[in-house]
Amino acid sequence: MSRFISPLVLALVGTILFGDGAYIHAKAWLAQVLLERAFDRSVATGQIVKPWSWADTWPVARIEVKRIGASAIVLEGTSGQALAFGPGHLDSTADAGERGVAVYAAHRDTHFRFLRNVSVGDVIEITRRDGRHFRYRADSSAVVRFDASGIAPSARDFELVLSTCWPFDAVTSGPERYILHATLIEPDE
Amino acid sequence: MDTYETVDSHEHPDEHLWLDRLIKVGLFLLAQSIAVLLVSFVALLVSFETSWSATTSQQASLLQPGDARSGTLLLKDDGGTIEAIRLGIDVDVTVSGPTLRTRVTQVFRNPTKGWVEATYVYPLASDGAVDTLKMVVGDRIIVGDIKERQQARVIYEQARRAGQKAALTEQERPNIFTNSVANIGPGETVLVQIEYQEPVHQSGNEYSLRVPLVVGPRYNPAPIVQSVDFRNDGSGWGATTSDPVPDRDRISPQVADPARNAPLNPTSITVHLNAGFALGEVKSYHHNVKVESPDNMSRVVTLADGPVPADRDFELTWKPAAQKAPAVGLFREHVGDADYLLAFVTPPAAEQATQKPLPREVVFVIDNSGSMGGTSIEQAKASLLYALGRLQPNDRFNVIRFDDTMDVLFPTSVPADAAHVGEATSFVSALQARGGTEMVPAMRAALTDKLGDTNMVRQIVFLTDGAIGNEQQLFETITAMRSRSRIFMVGIGSAPNTYLMTRAAELGRGAFTHIGSVEQVEERMRGLFAKLENPAVTGLSAKFSVAKADVTPAIIPDVYRDEPLVLAAKLDKLAGSLEIKGRVGDRPWSVTLPLQGAAEGKGLSKLWARRKIGDAEVARTLREMTPEDTDKTILALALDHQIVTRLTSLVAVDKTPSRPEGAPLRLSELPINLPAGWDFEKVFGERPQLTPTQLRERRADAGQPAARRPAPVTSDTIRLPKTATSAELKMIAGLIMLALALILFVFNRRQTLLTDAA
Repeated sequence: MSRFISPLVLALVGTILFGDGAYIHAKAWLAQVLLERAFDRSVATGQIVKPWSWADTWPVARIEVKRIGASAIVLEGTSGQALAFGPGHLDSTADAGERGVAVYAAHRDTHFRFLRNVSVGDVIEITRRDGRHFRYRADSSAVVRFDASGIAPSARDFELVLSTCWPFDAVTSGPERYILHATLIEPDE
Repeated sequence: MDTYETVDSHEHPDEHLWLDRLIKVGLFLLAQSIAVLLVSFVALLVSFETSWSATTSQQASLLQPGDARSGTLLLKDDGGTIEAIRLGIDVDVTVSGPTLRTRVTQVFRNPTKGWVEATYVYPLASDGAVDTLKMVVGDRIIVGDIKERQQARVIYEQARRAGQKAALTEQERPNIFTNSVANIGPGETVLVQIEYQEPVHQSGNEYSLRVPLVVGPRYNPAPIVQSVDFRNDGSGWGATTSDPVPDRDRISPQVADPARNAPLNPTSITVHLNAGFALGEVKSYHHNVKVESPDNMSRVVTLADGPVPADRDFELTWKPAAQKAPAVGLFREHVGDADYLLAFVTPPAAEQATQKPLPREVVFVIDNSGSMGGTSIEQAKASLLYALGRLQPNDRFNVIRFDDTMDVLFPTSVPADAAHVGEATSFVSALQARGGTEMVPAMRAALTDKLGDTNMVRQIVFLTDGAIGNEQQLFETITAMRSRSRIFMVGIGSAPNTYLMTRAAELGRGAFTHIGSVEQVEERMRGLFAKLENPAVTGLSAKFSVAKADVTPAIIPDVYRDEPLVLAAKLDKLAGSLEIKGRVGDRPWSVTLPLQGAAEGKGLSKLWARRKIGDAEVARTLREMTPEDTDKTILALALDHQIVTRLTSLVAVDKTPSRPEGAPLRLSELPINLPAGWDFEKVFGERPQLTPTQLRERRADAGQPAARRPAPVTSDTIRLPKTATSAELKMIAGLIMLALALILFVFNRRQTLLTDAA
């Protein structure tokens, strides 16, 4: 019987690890469902609505790329905790629809997995917490180092940058980031 | 096979044992490796967490409050295409007898391709009355109106949004003003002219004027965070502390590092001096000047070497040709239905021989903060060493030095014998300038009268550049603790805070003097000691025989040796005489001036109003007036006499819109020079990343005339957060282990089957 112990232990550890990984995905998916509801209420009431009572962040915008049917609720801030639940808005950057660059970042294997499918020319739609709606057009993409993004925070135009880790299929994290740059087409009151 | 095995085992019994051992070792290794794997995964998780938090803290570090000092967002400079607004300054001073009128012209030139709003923080004389603002656009001159501060701001913001050219002059401190100019077009030049009236200063035989040209960077103490003790009764009441410098952003323009930038803001100065008496020596202490003499009573003074950078105060002194300056001066002006009078009276000096000076207790306080670095600390040390040498053996003294820390040399004041003076001399010689400027605790320590010996005169000599933003806190400390101590301020350096010096000396019933260079130390300190060692003229009062008068200062301060008593009054009619009474030492003294003898003067009404405003501020500090009453009084005076105060501003709007709708407007906060002789690193620590331009975006169509919100200071480029989870890695590792388990299971089962078969 003792012969079965080692494969059992190994199987247990394997299951835990797999479960842990799957949990990250599950959390990312479930959080978006909760966030979707909180965001809708936020738009309706105009107040900050926390998705769950102990959350240290709140939804600020919705990103949609209609062509590929992708959508995600963006959270305020880019702490590790926030990024586990949704894309984060870099708090040192402008709000979407304002002059300057708004930067949203998310995990390449969860919320921004769709980024690889977004091509230059696609329309990215942003709905802000206050209900205002903005349309951006993707105009370039680049791979940069995380500390040399080349994004000036005080750009003259109304710009949007979506950022995630690069390469998309890597298993470990590296210093490279994929950024997709977009410019405001028209605000739509 | 079975037999073979048996045979085999029988034939090699030690070999079977060896295999058994091998399996045991293998199992052990397997267990080990699982443990290692587990540990390494835990480590991996931990490392992910820390790298996340590290990224977060990097984000946070971009937003240090100290960096927001300049309140600007640094723009990236793409190969010098963005140029800053250029500023030139012209100062034209006309001295007419007792008063002077200064016209400061600021030339804002926009060499950029965009529309710009410029703001410039600059100093003026603290007792000057700013009454005129003119904006010159092309060949049009727009004259500014005095308005309540908020209202002026609204008018300006409206014009700014509407694309009209506008200028706004606001007072931040009695000696710090801000000019804002909106909508300067590409390649355009806009002239902004302000004018102010100021009395001439007199000390003994010497008359002087001072044109401050730069605001020294101020030390603004951080708000004190207090813990609140709520009472147990659950009433829930607690006190909050307010920021000692609520307007720190408004008085802290960016300072250009002299090591990295050419001097800024070229300034030309012209003085038309009409003294009203035959002139002797005319001297500029800190600038090379050319002096022309059209006649014996007037001079024209210009800078000898052309424009100079605005990095130090301009100081001009003149003396009468006669041995003795006139002891009395009386000037009048008729404005509206009232007459205004300005009187200078220099009381006679008490005869030294007739009385022995009282023994004194002198507390010297020396500022060795970072702003004093460079030549200032040398001047302060030389002054203090001179003062120590002048002490008499029966005097007592103490020395306090402060930056953001403080040392009191002796526990209580000690006799000025050779040993103690020697100790103090070496203490002072070893001082070095560094750190912040926490002036209030030092003033408190100096005012603490431990000796309590009323047979001695208690004097405090305070040497500083006054580079602090919490002036009001210092004034309140003096008011609360001054008791019988008298405070003598010595202003050190090329751009001291004159407002702080005069007001502190006034509240402390002492006097103040400026020392702008090492050469001035001996002369000025000798003058100061004449004041310290000789009895003051006390118990002064002024009475008009016929006219009903509103006199300022309301309570006439004591007058020290060689200083004139300066009175301003508003009269219903110019008749009768003015009698001034007082005591020189222990002898009564009086003088009567017939008002008919007064000469015509200029701008006296404004000087009177300015002094009344100063009186109101002092009364508020002394808690003799409520803040509301003070504000009411000041506002009425300011609107009546059309002068800029902390409650009123001048605003000029060019009605013709110039900026096309939709064209963006950039805000450019003009940097200032570091005052001459200051050490940049001593003030600001390590040199920060300075870009040649510092421009802040402001949308022209932005909503409210909102208060300035310090924009977050960000580095040139944004750091992107880590955006990969360990999910995939974990899932893959999990799958591998499951597969491994399966293989092991199958392998074991096979072995079991084999054994079973056996």
